[in-house]
Amino acid sequence: MDLQFSDDDVHFRDQVRTWLREHAPTEQRPHDRQALREYDLAWQRTQWEGGWAGISWPTEYAGRGASLTQQLIWYEEYGALGLPGIDASFVGLNHAGPTLMARASEEQKSIHLPPILRGDVVWCQGFSEPGAGSDLASLSTRAVVDGDELVISGQKIWTSFADVADWQELLVRSDPSAPKHKGITWVICDMHTPGIEVRPIETMDGDREFCEVFYDEVRIPMTNVVGRLNEGWGVAMSTLAFERGTAFTLSQVRLAKTVEDLIEAARWRTGPDGRRPAIADDELARRLATGRAEVAALRAMTYAGISRSAHQGSPGPEGSIIKLYYSELAQRIYRLAFEILGDDGLHFVSRWAPDGWSGHYLYSYSLSIAGGTSEIQRNIIGERVLGLPR
Amino acid sequence: MAAALLAKTMDNGQGDARRRTSAIGPRQWAQFAELGWFGLSLPEERGGVGYGMAEEALLFREIGRHLAPGPFLACTLGARVALAGGADELATAILTGEITVGLAQARGAAFEVGDLVSGTFDLMDAVDVSHVVVVTRNGAALMAAEALGRPEQLPCIDPAVSLGRVHVEQAPAIVHASGATDRIFERGSVLAAAMLAGIGEATRDMASVFGKNREQFGKPIGVHQAVKHRCADMAMRAEAATSQVMFAALAIDEGRPDLEFQTAAAKVVAGDAGIGNAGLNIQIHGGMGYTFEHDAHLFLKRAHVLDRMLENKQQHMARLIDLPAAQ
Repeated sequence: MDLQFSDDDVHFRDQVRTWLREHAPTEQRPHDRQALREYDLAWQRTQWEGGWAGISWPTEYAGRGASLTQQLIWYEEYGALGLPGIDASFVGLNHAGPTLMARASEEQKSIHLPPILRGDVVWCQGFSEPGAGSDLASLSTRAVVDGDELVISGQKIWTSFADVADWQELLVRSDPSAPKHKGITWVICDMHTPGIEVRPIETMDGDREFCEVFYDEVRIPMTNVVGRLNEGWGVAMSTLAFERGTAFTLSQVRLAKTVEDLIEAARWRTGPDGRRPAIADDELARRLATGRAEVAALRAMTYAGISRSAHQGSPGPEGSIIKLYYSELAQRIYRLAFEILGDDGLHFVSRWAPDGWSGHYLYSYSLSIAGGTSEIQRNIIGERVLGLPR
Repeated sequence: MAAALLAKTMDNGQGDARRRTSAIGPRQWAQFAELGWFGLSLPEERGGVGYGMAEEALLFREIGRHLAPGPFLACTLGARVALAGGADELATAILTGEITVGLAQARGAAFEVGDLVSGTFDLMDAVDVSHVVVVTRNGAALMAAEALGRPEQLPCIDPAVSLGRVHVEQAPAIVHASGATDRIFERGSVLAAAMLAGIGEATRDMASVFGKNREQFGKPIGVHQAVKHRCADMAMRAEAATSQVMFAALAIDEGRPDLEFQTAAAKVVAGDAGIGNAGLNIQIHGGMGYTFEHDAHLFLKRAHVLDRMLENKQQHMARLIDLPAAQ
């Protein structure tokens, strides 16, 4: 680990900061789903035009090809300015795109990668099913080969942005007689194909980002299969490994900013005794101090992880330690935020709005579930890091 | 190499090295001195090895991991205080292992540390030493042990640490250094945190090995999530502690403006890892973990000693909340 940035990196940071200040959207992110899609894609397009799109993508795919340190700097500056994430582009940039780079044919790459970077398309992820959550490999959405097409029937769930997506990275059961990891295929699904029905799911924070997706004899050309038929599990795993890399820095920087905002708020908000500011309350002050210490440790772990990635080439199962630590820490911090709000916490403010802490508090319950539950992360740490028996 | 040497010293086949204050004899101490252990981060031209805090923190993590008893921290800080005050001969004597130094830390807020030292002090590993280094956030001083008179000796919860208490009025210091000089308090805090991180890692590993080997109901207890998930939590806390200790060490090496913030964060997070993991390790070992014979309790006890060393967690948290945000 090295905290000292080279002159090049310092220069890079200045460049990033200047560019972000001049080009980042200043309007509030809209609520309407279609408008939100356009907002996110426009911001992605701006990044593309400025030469910043795909910060972690290699240059051979027209990405920025930044070093790990530079990616870290990008996310640190991005987070410090409190900019909205490009959520509609998230799956394309961080899941589907990297998977295509690793496993797709040249033709598939040339069709699909450039539009992701340019902000032309939205991708979504069709992995989880009602019967296949933590046990993803037990998925049962069926794919039957019919000539040069796959015919797909079944259901996916927890699909963010399915309602406004153009493409989906879809996992299907193509050989029901094979052992469960061996009969899965990873396929590119055009979300405008007949037979697809998308129903939004309202979550406990009032958001409608998740959807259920139903497939009724949906026909997908065989040329959309990535990797080979029945070898989709390995293809999917290359996606999950990418998920726990540097993109996580942004969440960590945002959490650090939240703690600082909270300390500021605790100085002027009335505390639980109804007289003094919240920060004068010993318990709240201790929890805020702990928050500062633990967010610092989260950053230190991120730096250590990035330095390990730089030497080993991939983040490894240690990524689960950071994910677990972040999820639990973020929940403690948003719970603290909610308590600092006092009775104002009952006033619901969406997490997309300024000071949307009550919304963030509700949202924080998803953090230990999404992207692999904390229980699954603990299994991974226990078995793959510590070597405990299964 | 330090790890191997400490392992050899602490696992001497008699099994009680971790229970005795005198487990490391003078010859062993001289060997550590010869390896430069008490001046790893001091410049070579002043008798040190010329490494940074990062390397020193790695050494102290091993000292913590192996529960090595003795005034490692006080000698390291004492040499630095001696050099800061121009007492070069004294520094050399510490660095070569010729003399050893105990640690004194102030109790309460009514103390003075300057040319003269006044107040009530807790003493750690300050028996059979010729000198004592007083380390506070506001300054440090190196004193002759006899200047403290006759401290009261108290039984310590950790059998390998000697604990004393003394009250002095205007006792003379040989040299003293102000709070900001050379960041002595922060260096000491990070090194204490490094030892705590070492304890967090050692107990994580002990619990994991036990989870693999101990069988009940016909299978290793580590297959159960009740055990496995506790081990995973231990891994998480140890990773957080070690990462933050290294971050703070580098912050001191590089003179980052937020080095005080990073130091306090390291002490808080490492204290949780050391005490938390040591406690869970006892639980996972069941009845054996509660016995004096098993080493599990020794890690917990040392973790509590280190948590109180150079200000406790609450004091570091109070400081942390008053500081400006991290850089």
